[in-house]
Amino acid sequence: MTEAPATPPPTQKCPHCGALLDPGDAFCEACGQPVGDPAAAAVPAALDTEKNPLDDVSPISAVTVGPGGRTAETAPAERAPCLECGGVVGEDGYCTQCGTKAPSPRDHFEEKPADWVAGVCDRGIRHARNEDAMALLADGERAVLVVCDGVSNSDDSDIASLAAAKAALEVLRPPLPKGLGVPESVAAAVGKLFTDAAAAANQAVLDTAPDDVRNPPSCTFVAAIADGSVVHYAGIGDSRVYLLPDAGNGRMLTIDDSMAQVLIAGGTPRAEAEASKQAHSITKWLGRDSPDITPRVGKVDVTGPGWLLACSDGLWNYASEPAALAAQIAAAGSTDPHAIATHLVAFANAAGGQDNITATLARVGGAAQPVEGLVTGASAPSSTNGATDVGKNAAPTTGETDG
Amino acid sequence: MADFTATVYQNEFLPDGGTDVHAIVTIDCSGAGTAGQTGSGAAGEIIIIDTSGSMGQSAMAAAKEAAQAALAEIVDGTYFAVISGNGAAFLAYPLVQSGPAMVPMDDGTRREAAEAISRLRSGGGTEISTWLDMAGVLFTSVPEVVQRHAILLTDGENNEPGPVLDEAIARATGFYQCDCRGVGVDWKVEEIRRIAQALLGTVDIIPSPEQMAAEFEAMMRQSMSRGVASANLRVWTPQGAQILFVRQVSPTVEDLTNRRTVVNDLTGDYPTGAWSDESRDYHVAVRLAAKAVGQEQLAARVQLAIGDEVKTQGLVKAKWSDDSEQTTRIDPQVAHYTGQTELAQAIQEGLAAKAAGNEELATTKLGRAVQLAKETGNEEATSKLRKVVDVEDEDAGTVRLKKTVEKADEMALDTASTKTTRVRKQ
Repeated sequence: MTEAPATPPPTQKCPHCGALLDPGDAFCEACGQPVGDPAAAAVPAALDTEKNPLDDVSPISAVTVGPGGRTAETAPAERAPCLECGGVVGEDGYCTQCGTKAPSPRDHFEEKPADWVAGVCDRGIRHARNEDAMALLADGERAVLVVCDGVSNSDDSDIASLAAAKAALEVLRPPLPKGLGVPESVAAAVGKLFTDAAAAANQAVLDTAPDDVRNPPSCTFVAAIADGSVVHYAGIGDSRVYLLPDAGNGRMLTIDDSMAQVLIAGGTPRAEAEASKQAHSITKWLGRDSPDITPRVGKVDVTGPGWLLACSDGLWNYASEPAALAAQIAAAGSTDPHAIATHLVAFANAAGGQDNITATLARVGGAAQPVEGLVTGASAPSSTNGATDVGKNAAPTTGETDG
Repeated sequence: MADFTATVYQNEFLPDGGTDVHAIVTIDCSGAGTAGQTGSGAAGEIIIIDTSGSMGQSAMAAAKEAAQAALAEIVDGTYFAVISGNGAAFLAYPLVQSGPAMVPMDDGTRREAAEAISRLRSGGGTEISTWLDMAGVLFTSVPEVVQRHAILLTDGENNEPGPVLDEAIARATGFYQCDCRGVGVDWKVEEIRRIAQALLGTVDIIPSPEQMAAEFEAMMRQSMSRGVASANLRVWTPQGAQILFVRQVSPTVEDLTNRRTVVNDLTGDYPTGAWSDESRDYHVAVRLAAKAVGQEQLAARVQLAIGDEVKTQGLVKAKWSDDSEQTTRIDPQVAHYTGQTELAQAIQEGLAAKAAGNEELATTKLGRAVQLAKETGNEEATSKLRKVVDVEDEDAGTVRLKKTVEKADEMALDTASTKTTRVRKQ
């Protein structure tokens, strides 16, 4: 009685352009239009079962009806509650209690592929649309986080960034090659994988707009793979990957391709560089006019429990230092990555929400299932006690390698 | 079945820290049908004729003719009755002592009613509260009548203390609608307007008896074309918001703010009465808590509801912006009706000041009215104002009160003060 019927059949087509959709797609990859409410797909089957008219018939006749029949019988898609006050969102798309406009599925979406992996992607406050995108997967001990941030002065960057994130995720979906022996060969294989993912993402961006468009769409790209006790990561642009252990200092793993980073490299302190006028001008990106689509890749060993975070600048603008991010994770007061991602987005919105905000997290460090009480708001190690055991948490052997 | 549509005109952009949202919501009704013929219940019409001693011979003859013209417009099958009123109210037709006191219209009852009307004689005082109460009793006696409308004709000032009439108006409010007409110049516009406004009707002057029949005919035809018995303007506002006002602004200005009945914590109904195929405009003003620049929220859902069925909905929105080009623009509809509302107020206050002997205030108010009438293109108001004041400078609003003014012209200006003109819509 409780099997989930909500997954659309694999042959479902986009109602806007007719392209084939993958099961669970919230947006059409071809045209970028929303094709259904992702929240609706997550409605527990039990809810539907209660309203199921088949409940009234005898079990004998009921068994002949498969879940497919039930899908057709289900009530209209339930709208997610108001993000502002939790009230019911009306058919007109506004909260019936506080009047807040419910975001479109593109303006705010959430993914939780496993109870240790989740992300939230949000329009923020000041931007008219959400040009950030994310794509996540969890598979056994492995999680993949992809974040792309559309460049706001180019056309259709919201469509491009989502297409890019999804295309990259598909390349990163198969398990990493194992048993190749030497670390160098593993690094080379992973580097090749990330390069392919970036190329696929770049192709997806190119495919979203005709050749003669005036401002070709473009976006950033970061991907992080948590694979057992190892994290691989890659980046183009200024979206970031952080590793934030429960105990000890967190680290920013990626290096921005931005003017701020150029200043930092030249000796300017990070805070000053990131506050400079040109800080957000990126020096590498995906898209037609991109000078270079080869990501900078790296690897780090996870030595203790903590969080892997991939995010856009809409978040790190308000908490660039790992310690500041760790403090916000602690403030979430939860061990649920979805709750933490929600808190991080709310934190950035409360701080002004000047840009689109994406926060994706995976629990790493041997505790695939977060243990209750492992991280709590009150007792969570703040970044300030990171003096303990620095060596254990600091970056181990492998550093960043270009190419 | 009647179709309703709602259209919202507003500038949804608010500056940083802005709180007040104004919108004009146009409600259009089509396919209304005929009163009492749409299957949702019977219609009832009551004609109330002043038969006080002040009604002279020619006025009385004209009133009878007018009542008969109105009878001719009442669609067969409609329940009806005729009341003659002076110091008390009398059931002129049908001639019954008990039971249902209204009868369905057909050729026979129409003829009987006409005969009854022809026998009416004038005499006695004017106590309008008794007329209103009797109309209420008659409607109550026929429960199948769900659409209740009366026409009231008077020629003189009410002889009762103010509260007596007000209490009778309160008893009738929400139960039946009433269009009021005054004949001659001895009645009080303010008094009769109070009745008409409360009972969702119109008020006007019939300057001379010979115009009466045409006026009654038109009024009754209009009433019979209202196939939608009763509807409410339903306004939802978000938690914490404050409704500054809800006004009908076209075809006339009627403040509905204080006529709200609670639907739930966030929603209230404002009475709009019966509808024919017509279009009405409402001005809704809501105060919100300011949100951050870039945020959007709904300021009001403005719906037309028949019973609990919502027929149409317009959304009034608020978007905070730091682009002054967006936020400083005033919607032309909002500007127009804000001016027309002020125009109605300036006329009424100016005439009241003039009646009270305060010529200085009257000159200022009526001058402002002249200015507003020009600005908002209200030609009817302009021409009626020019019969009461000499205009020196229309744009500046400088006027002089005319030394001699026809009383009827002044009353016509007063009764027409709430009539508005529309602006061309985009």
